[in-house]
Amino acid sequence: MSEQVVIGKATEATAARSVLFKLVMFSLSLGIVPISSYFASEEYLWNGNSTYAAITAVVSANVVLVAYIISSVLEDRPMAPDTSAKTLLESKKQQ
Amino acid sequence: MSSCPPYAPFFGFAGVASAMILSTVGAAFGTAKAGIGIAGLGSFRPELIMKSLIPVVMSGIIAVYGLVVSVLIAGDLRPEGYSLFAGFTHLGAGLACGMTGLAAGYAIGIVGDSCVRAYVQETKVFVSMVLILIFAEVLGLYGLIVALIMNTSAIASKDIC
Repeated sequence: MSEQVVIGKATEATAARSVLFKLVMFSLSLGIVPISSYFASEEYLWNGNSTYAAITAVVSANVVLVAYIISSVLEDRPMAPDTSAKTLLESKKQQ
Repeated sequence: MSSCPPYAPFFGFAGVASAMILSTVGAAFGTAKAGIGIAGLGSFRPELIMKSLIPVVMSGIIAVYGLVVSVLIAGDLRPEGYSLFAGFTHLGAGLACGMTGLAAGYAIGIVGDSCVRAYVQETKVFVSMVLILIFAEVLGLYGLIVALIMNTSAIASKDIC
C-alpha cells in the first residue's frame, strides 16, 4: 500500500514536470513566434508589404493556439479510461 | 491649412498606444477571470488543468493581436511628410483593434471562468467551451481585420505633402 503511494507520487512528480515544461514552451512560443514571423515574413517573404506580414503573424499565433488545444486533448486521452474507472469505483464505494 | 501639420503624428502614436493598451486590458481581464475558475478547479481535479488553461492561452492571443497592430502602425510613423489623414486613420485602426480586443477579452474571461467550473462536473462541457471561446476570440480578429484594412488606406496616401 505504501509502495503504491510512493510510486504514485513519483509518477505525479514526473508528470507535473513534463506538464510544466510543456506550458513554459507554449508560453514562450506564444510570445516569440508571432512577432518573429511578422518581421521575418516582412523582410524575406512579402518584400516589405506589412499587411501580409501582419496576416502571417496572426496565422502563426492561431497555429500555436491550435497546437496547444490539440496537445491538451491528446494529453488527457490516455488518462480518460483511468478517470472513468476511478469515478466508477468511487460511485460504487459511495453506494 | 496644410494637410501635413506637425501635430499629425500625435494621432498616429495615440493609435499605437490604444491598440496595445486596450487589448492588453482585455487580455488581462480574461486571464484573471479565467484564472479564478482554474484555481478553483485545480484544488479538485488537478489533472484537468492543462485543458482548462485554454481560456488563458486565448486571452494571450488577444494581446498578440494588439501587439501586431501596434507594430504594424508604428512601422509607418514618420516625423516629416506624415499627413493628418494618415494620423486619423492610424488612430481609428488602433482604436478598432483595441476596443474589440477589450470586448473579446471580457467575453473570454467570463466564459472561461464559468465553463471551467462546469468542466469539473461534466466533461462534455469541454467542446462547447472551446466553441464559445473561439466565437469570443473571433471578435478580436474582426477588429484586427478592420485595423489592417484601415492601415492599407493610410499607406496608400503616403505622398500627400
